[in-house]
Amino acid sequence: MKAPSPVLERTDRGIARGSRPWAKAPTPSTKPAKAITTNVLCFAIAAVLFALPLVYMLLQAFKTYTGFLQNPTGMPDPWTVESFSTAWRQGDFGRQMINSLVYAVIPDTITLILGVFLAFPISRGYFKRSNALYTFFIFSGFLPGGLIPLFIEARTLHLYNSMAGYLILTSLSGAGFFFFVGYIKGIPREIDEAAALDGCGYVRFIFTIIMPQMKPALATFAVFGFVHAWNNLILPLVMLSDAALWPVTRGLYSFFGEYTQNWPLIAAGTFIVAAPILLLFVLLQRHLVEGVAGGAAFGAQGVTAAPTGVAKTGQGEGS
Amino acid sequence: MARCPFGTQRTRRFIPWASIAIPGAGWLLFGLYPSLATIGYSFTRYSGLPGTPLNFCGLCNYSAAFTSLSSVVGDAVRVTLVYVVGATVLQTAAGLGLALLLNRPGRSYAVYRAVIFMPQIFSVAVVGAIFALMFDPYSGPVQKVVNGLFGATSAFLGSSSLALPLVILVNVWMFSGYTMLIYIAGLRNIPPSVYEAAAMDGAGRLRVFRHVTWPLLAPATTVTVFLTAMGTLGEYALLMVLTGGNFGTKTLGLYMYQSAFGGDSQLGYGSMLAMLQFFLTVVIGGGLLFTLRRREISL
Repeated sequence: MKAPSPVLERTDRGIARGSRPWAKAPTPSTKPAKAITTNVLCFAIAAVLFALPLVYMLLQAFKTYTGFLQNPTGMPDPWTVESFSTAWRQGDFGRQMINSLVYAVIPDTITLILGVFLAFPISRGYFKRSNALYTFFIFSGFLPGGLIPLFIEARTLHLYNSMAGYLILTSLSGAGFFFFVGYIKGIPREIDEAAALDGCGYVRFIFTIIMPQMKPALATFAVFGFVHAWNNLILPLVMLSDAALWPVTRGLYSFFGEYTQNWPLIAAGTFIVAAPILLLFVLLQRHLVEGVAGGAAFGAQGVTAAPTGVAKTGQGEGS
Repeated sequence: MARCPFGTQRTRRFIPWASIAIPGAGWLLFGLYPSLATIGYSFTRYSGLPGTPLNFCGLCNYSAAFTSLSSVVGDAVRVTLVYVVGATVLQTAAGLGLALLLNRPGRSYAVYRAVIFMPQIFSVAVVGAIFALMFDPYSGPVQKVVNGLFGATSAFLGSSSLALPLVILVNVWMFSGYTMLIYIAGLRNIPPSVYEAAAMDGAGRLRVFRHVTWPLLAPATTVTVFLTAMGTLGEYALLMVLTGGNFGTKTLGLYMYQSAFGGDSQLGYGSMLAMLQFFLTVVIGGGLLFTLRRREISL
């Protein structure tokens, strides 16, 4: 298994140089032989249980269809990249890739900005019942799922089966602002007062002072938001009937049904859909993985998440 | 209530409201309203076809669910519960085991953690395709291995006895990396002095785990059990891709999706199923929070 690419290793050396909060953790690795056994066991788990299904899938993509039929579980013989170009053409993945990018980047950016504008006044307590409002926002996530009324509403408002409509829906419904509220509380209020005294306007203040202060939180949210939007399958299924508007996930779902049993082709299509996310993951894996471990995904960036803190914000995440 | 320092005397009262106007309206329109409207639509026979009336019918969907169609709804509830309990228990166990194994310093372990975390960044469409291939009864590798080992063949995702356990396993495969990371964060919060004290008292590794590590991981267990249970309760996209809800894998969520968008467009009936799912969420989520929190305090 050769999943770790040069990029992955390089970012990893970056961690090695940095602080390692767990380095002092009592790990019983005093005996070298035992440490090697543990390492091999962990490698086997990661490689066989978690990486192998992906690698196996990728291998199928390099087979010809007849090669696959003759030896479905063996190595590709002969090797070919034809499936990739065939899948790209027949699945219309080029157009869908652009759609997916649009559906992921635009709502991600807009929810990010709107989220800060929503979170800031609530976090600063500018309203009479800011805390109650905040609690209500969070608990509204536990209300019944609204997919069916959202579909009816989208049709009434002519947002159904349109790219602009889909963008409006996803840009405005995206929650995640409560992710920011706690973070903004950590930014001292004195900055607000000083900026206001100097005549800084509200919008300019948010963009030039608050948002740069929130970089780690915004980055984490942007990455997870992008991945979430890219991967969404249900909303495109419900809201977009026209194949020209589909994102790659929706396209793959149909492609999968259309070419059942032509596994080299499906494998190539699957890999095409997964590749951008895989690339993002390899580039940012340190941020994503150690970020979650350190509680960054819970909006507690930089704070060694106290157990209760993780529990509390963690529940918020679930809403 | 704090005063907003921005703007002039006249504008400062309105600036906070202007700031939340667009995202707040969006949330009301596309977040809160659809959620609440589900309650209303669950009392109708609305088909969603343009020009058709709402067909308010009181509790008709609920009575249908509990009488004539009870076997379908009952099955869906049963499948949902099995799915939630199975995935939560297995994922918590797998995540804990992986965390204990992989919470070690060193570059190789960081790579292993990243690989184990990786599956959940993929779309369910991707994961579904991968495991449809792995479990393909004609040309999949799992069939070959099972056949070689036991000389038996199985339809796997097409078998009514195996489909549900297998989709649970795929779910665990996809998300146990997340549970692992939550547990690793928990492990790193345990002060080394506690272990030193336990070692001083001559506690063996098993006793240390049972009486030190596991109790001190209680907050992490609360988070992961609650999040996994809530997540699997609402999950149906993966099931849809893997089995289409056939072979005993139709959860309430999938049943809701299929009755509303699967061609019949029974939007009212689907809303009722969404309400049933909501009741399950409240009961299970509330019960879990109550017991997990009490456990945390008593430990």
